[in-house]
Amino acid sequence: MFKQGFGEFKYYVGINSLSQIATRQDRVCVLNILGGESKDVTPVGHVYSGGNVVFGTSPGRSGQVLETSLGDVPVYNSVREGMQAGHRFNCGVVYLPPSAARDGVAELIRVNPELNKIFIVTEKLSVHDAREIRAMGQQNGIDIFGGNSLGVADAWNEVRIGGALGGDNPAEALKKGSIAILSNSGNFTTTIATYLRMAGWGTTTAISSGKDIYIHYAAPEFAFALANDARSKAAVLYAEPGGHYELEADFNKPVVACVVGRWKARLTRAVGHAGAMAGGDDDAGAKEQWFMAKFGVDGIFTPENPVFSARGAVVTNIAHIPMALTAVMRENATRPDFPPEGSLALKPWFASTRGISLPAALDLPVVEAVAPYNEQIALLNRQVGTVFPRQTLKDASGASQLDPKTQVASLNGVTMLDAAQNPLETNIALALVHEAGGDNDRALVNAAVGSFLNLHGTPVLVAAQASREDGNAPNAVMAAAACLIGPRRVEPARRAVRFLVDAFAGAGLKTALDEEFDFGGVVPDEAMRGVLVGKKEDAEAAALLAGLRERGARSVFVRYLESLGRHPTADGVLAAISATLAWGPLMRKRISLLSVENLPWGIKLVGTLLGASVPANQHEAGRFCGVSNEEILGRRSLTEVAYLGLLGQEPRPEDLFVFQTLIGLLLTNGPGAISIQGVKGAVSADGPETPERVQLNKALVGFLSHSGYAHGGNGYEGIAFLLDQFRDADLNDPGDSGHGLDLKALAVRYTEVYAQYKSNRKTAGSLDIQKIPGVNHPVFKDKPVNHDPREVFIWDLMLDRGEYNVFHDYYRALVQALFDAGVSRTVYCVNIDAVIAALLLKMLWQPYRSGACPAAALETAAFTLFLYARMIGSLAEADDHLNRGRNMDTRTPASQCKFVA
Amino acid sequence: MQVTGMLHGAKLLQFAGFPTSEVLGPAASEGEIKDLIARHGSVFVKPVFKGGVGKKGKAGLLGRAKDLQTALKEKERLYFAEHRVGNNFYKANGVTFEGAVPAEHEVYFSITDSTRFRAPTMTLTHHGGVDIEEIDKSLVASIPFDPLTGLKAFVVANALTELKAPKQIISPLVQQLPKLWELFHNFGMTTLELNPIRMRADRQGRLTPVACDFKCGFDRDDPRWGRLNLPSDLFAVDYSDFEQEINQLRTYQGQSDVYVINPAGTILAPTFGGGANSLVTEMLGDNAIISSDFGGNPPYEKMREVARICFKHWLRQTNVLFIIGGKSNNTDIFETFRAMADALREHFSAHGPTPLHVVVGRGGPNLIRGMGAMRDTLEALGVPYHIFGFDSDMSEVVGFARQIDEWMKAGGRDQIAASLKNARAAA
Repeated sequence: MFKQGFGEFKYYVGINSLSQIATRQDRVCVLNILGGESKDVTPVGHVYSGGNVVFGTSPGRSGQVLETSLGDVPVYNSVREGMQAGHRFNCGVVYLPPSAARDGVAELIRVNPELNKIFIVTEKLSVHDAREIRAMGQQNGIDIFGGNSLGVADAWNEVRIGGALGGDNPAEALKKGSIAILSNSGNFTTTIATYLRMAGWGTTTAISSGKDIYIHYAAPEFAFALANDARSKAAVLYAEPGGHYELEADFNKPVVACVVGRWKARLTRAVGHAGAMAGGDDDAGAKEQWFMAKFGVDGIFTPENPVFSARGAVVTNIAHIPMALTAVMRENATRPDFPPEGSLALKPWFASTRGISLPAALDLPVVEAVAPYNEQIALLNRQVGTVFPRQTLKDASGASQLDPKTQVASLNGVTMLDAAQNPLETNIALALVHEAGGDNDRALVNAAVGSFLNLHGTPVLVAAQASREDGNAPNAVMAAAACLIGPRRVEPARRAVRFLVDAFAGAGLKTALDEEFDFGGVVPDEAMRGVLVGKKEDAEAAALLAGLRERGARSVFVRYLESLGRHPTADGVLAAISATLAWGPLMRKRISLLSVENLPWGIKLVGTLLGASVPANQHEAGRFCGVSNEEILGRRSLTEVAYLGLLGQEPRPEDLFVFQTLIGLLLTNGPGAISIQGVKGAVSADGPETPERVQLNKALVGFLSHSGYAHGGNGYEGIAFLLDQFRDADLNDPGDSGHGLDLKALAVRYTEVYAQYKSNRKTAGSLDIQKIPGVNHPVFKDKPVNHDPREVFIWDLMLDRGEYNVFHDYYRALVQALFDAGVSRTVYCVNIDAVIAALLLKMLWQPYRSGACPAAALETAAFTLFLYARMIGSLAEADDHLNRGRNMDTRTPASQCKFVA
Repeated sequence: MQVTGMLHGAKLLQFAGFPTSEVLGPAASEGEIKDLIARHGSVFVKPVFKGGVGKKGKAGLLGRAKDLQTALKEKERLYFAEHRVGNNFYKANGVTFEGAVPAEHEVYFSITDSTRFRAPTMTLTHHGGVDIEEIDKSLVASIPFDPLTGLKAFVVANALTELKAPKQIISPLVQQLPKLWELFHNFGMTTLELNPIRMRADRQGRLTPVACDFKCGFDRDDPRWGRLNLPSDLFAVDYSDFEQEINQLRTYQGQSDVYVINPAGTILAPTFGGGANSLVTEMLGDNAIISSDFGGNPPYEKMREVARICFKHWLRQTNVLFIIGGKSNNTDIFETFRAMADALREHFSAHGPTPLHVVVGRGGPNLIRGMGAMRDTLEALGVPYHIFGFDSDMSEVVGFARQIDEWMKAGGRDQIAASLKNARAAA
């Protein structure tokens, strides 16, 4: 039932010599030429082969072309259409999906009588289809290679057909020589050719046979064609378990056989190559025996125990192939084709031990890669910072997330519970450069942000005050200020920081605190020099530099600025501080260059908005909230000054801790929060794919417009509740555990009121029962006694510090009283809103009691504090969306929108 | 993906119109069992194993009962029977009751694809009922045939003639056996074995072949077996949760084959290419958690998902994340490395850092961009690494990964954990 071909096979074989497998005369038609894989691979093979692809097919795409550097390859709907257009070919390449491959083979065979070879690249062909493909090929006298093959390549003819052997640069692996390769693995076909080159052996024909159950061009016919190929002096075979192909092969030239896969005897089903299944009489052990019998050897060749004969050697490790081949060929009085081109010794191209001391044998030094990879690595090393892949960031964030189990949010990898233990300035660094930094960073942030607080005499203050006087809430007041910190205002500082980063990266700066670093080679052009320094002293710059000196802040960039011989500008100093803060994270690839460029803007926005939140009468020439500018720049922490601005009084240490804890807790609540949606919408609408057009100040306006007394004011809801409960209580200091109040009685009193309210509502038939602010949580419920882990954390944290909060204590008494009275089925948790309210009220109690802060002002203060915290989280979110997002990616498809009537 | 035994085998054979013994499943009532014994004189009680399990008879896992009491006793003995074949351990869950088929002749029949003939091949002998390997080769016919025309009656007739089979069995087998080709070929099978087929005589002495045991293997890459509507859990036992998750990503574009080698291993080795998979897993031995092949140029999204699943299941216990492959031909190194790096970054963000040393060995298109993406991520995460090019001996790279693993076990892991903690504290 099969055509008669060459040799005495029980089946058709049309290849007489390996030299006929891939020739310069072969003309190729590629099925599914525009498919994902073919469109990358086919042009490379086409060019390598001098233009062997005459046309391709892709149903429905007739008239299109596949572009190559040798000209366009035409595409037709079908093979018949291509042939009717006058094309002729003898090789078909099948890049079709598995369900279509068999039909593709049938099409090639039926339509083209001149066809004599088919190469099937398709993986995961069903055995059913492979059976029928085999039969079709046999009946019609067609040689088939594959399936699951990466095709064939001939280094003498410089031809590659039907796959990607040699990758995107076939000449790199395939050098003309005397060794033929037949490999069950496509990857190893190339890898073996590469290894052979290292030892001085080139190749003739390399065949990736595939490793399906049906291997259409296999070892027996390879051995036959090898014998008839004058160019090939020997062969390398790479064989995996499964199939009797190698058993039937009759070699008359030397062969090194690599048999891998003994471990597969342990498997109960196939992994990797489909036919590579263990068991039976064709496993790896059996194959080793077949080859040993053919070569007349009694063991496996290893460097330690080289067992070989003139007929061949068996190895079980592909790295031993070159050595085995050289040994076998020496027995045949044959020397390598050319001098060895390298060694296979371990050569790390990149390595880092992160300062951990490895044993000497493992601490391998980085070795320069072979050309052209060394140049590519050098180029890569010149890039600083990371680049994030862009994706749709609707309801997604790379900056913040909310753990659904614990409900604890985190910002740039730091949980809000940890952030709550850091001062405001640390959290600003965390948001803007992704790392909280150390003392030096805090000094830099305190001075830099502090320098923007006092807005005396600026239009920003006028705008903010006008907004305030028009009765706007604090968010609208701050938004009025944000609108005036536009791109032009920060443009010089952004340019300057970019210059500093590029120049110092080029100069090889490792750490921004390097006191010894020689920046002699960093020379700005005149325009940049004009940005960094000026002829006259810049008072703002001088004050900031004085502040930095007083704080003992170190910075190679500030040092550089001062070395330029003129007076540093305010923009120059801001850029130098920004570069210092960003340097470590940038070098550690935690942030992008884009983030660093925007850093001066972020710093300026934080300082300005904090300042704008404070009424105009607190901004005086040289003083802010009664504190001199020098003191703010040189000594005060930002946390202190922000507290002062918000509450108008100097904080006690315990107040300061409560303040920073609240800021930390409120930094973010994940990308789903309305405020963050506002930020992301603003960035998305500007188009982050053109980052220079995105306005950071507008992103903050987005946040500010998306917050309000409902979102941002819920701390006050709890405060109002607590004020009501403690209305008649004679409480002087909420931090004094000896307050003398009977909290349990207080809780029982409210419980009775609430139980009555609930009962009345039910009697009235209403299920709309108001919940108690700060009590219960949709996630932390259903246990006999429930806890919000965030509340527990703060409780324990304060306990450890020896600090007491009567309001927090009251909440704990309340949930117990609700349960004891049967109002709740379980002991509800005290949730994080209650904690925030309790902390806020503790902090505000004294001003409230003294009358300095009336009840209405409490609400504004609570809301403003939320704005302080979330502003910082928003900047992190804006930076993230800017780096990773796509244009308009936050919109909702119309199909998901609803009309309501 | 194998099915053995008559519980499901009988249904499949009935689908092809091939006579079978009468079978009751584990849920059979005592009345039904009693009736079955009454009809057939006796029943065989066999344990039900999922997947392909052989040599049950030799292991004494076959009961025969001529009365209900014995049948129930055998059911109790075999219901949860345990069976070891080679390295594999199986546990039964249920029994079948199969009506005995008295017969003089037992026939062995199978169809499979022979790599010697490179064609579907029928194996047939009338000396069946025992393992085929135990029968003298001269008494067995192995006949390849053309898949385009299928197994034809004349092929069976010629084989039986050459085997000098008793005349009375030839005609019924020639009529019935070709039906099995339809079942084999059209429903995605790779092997089909009936042993024994017992030749049951009717009142006139005419013989009918009755399949009394069944074994078949299905081709995972052939959707045709889906037409059989087999119970969805029939093959599920073959896969761990991890493998199941990865398998859901299995498409023709990019491999995603995994096998859990040692759930307590310490080297997690995403491997690219079947050849690398064989080499690497062989050298890593029990240190490897999984054996995998993720080659075949997987797109970014798929690779990231595969890596995400791997990390979710195994990263916590991993000492060495070992990304290894040869010099790829078409797998884009940038896409695959970027995907794995992003998955690692996401894992660290979601679950916190875990002490890890990353060893990479790879070559291929977009190599340096890919290595750069991986390096940058590892730098950002504070994870130590060694990245080798394709000019380093792959087996030496495997050896290096093993040595790092040993060092990690001997205190290195603690050092890295401390370093990660410090990095976080500093941050």
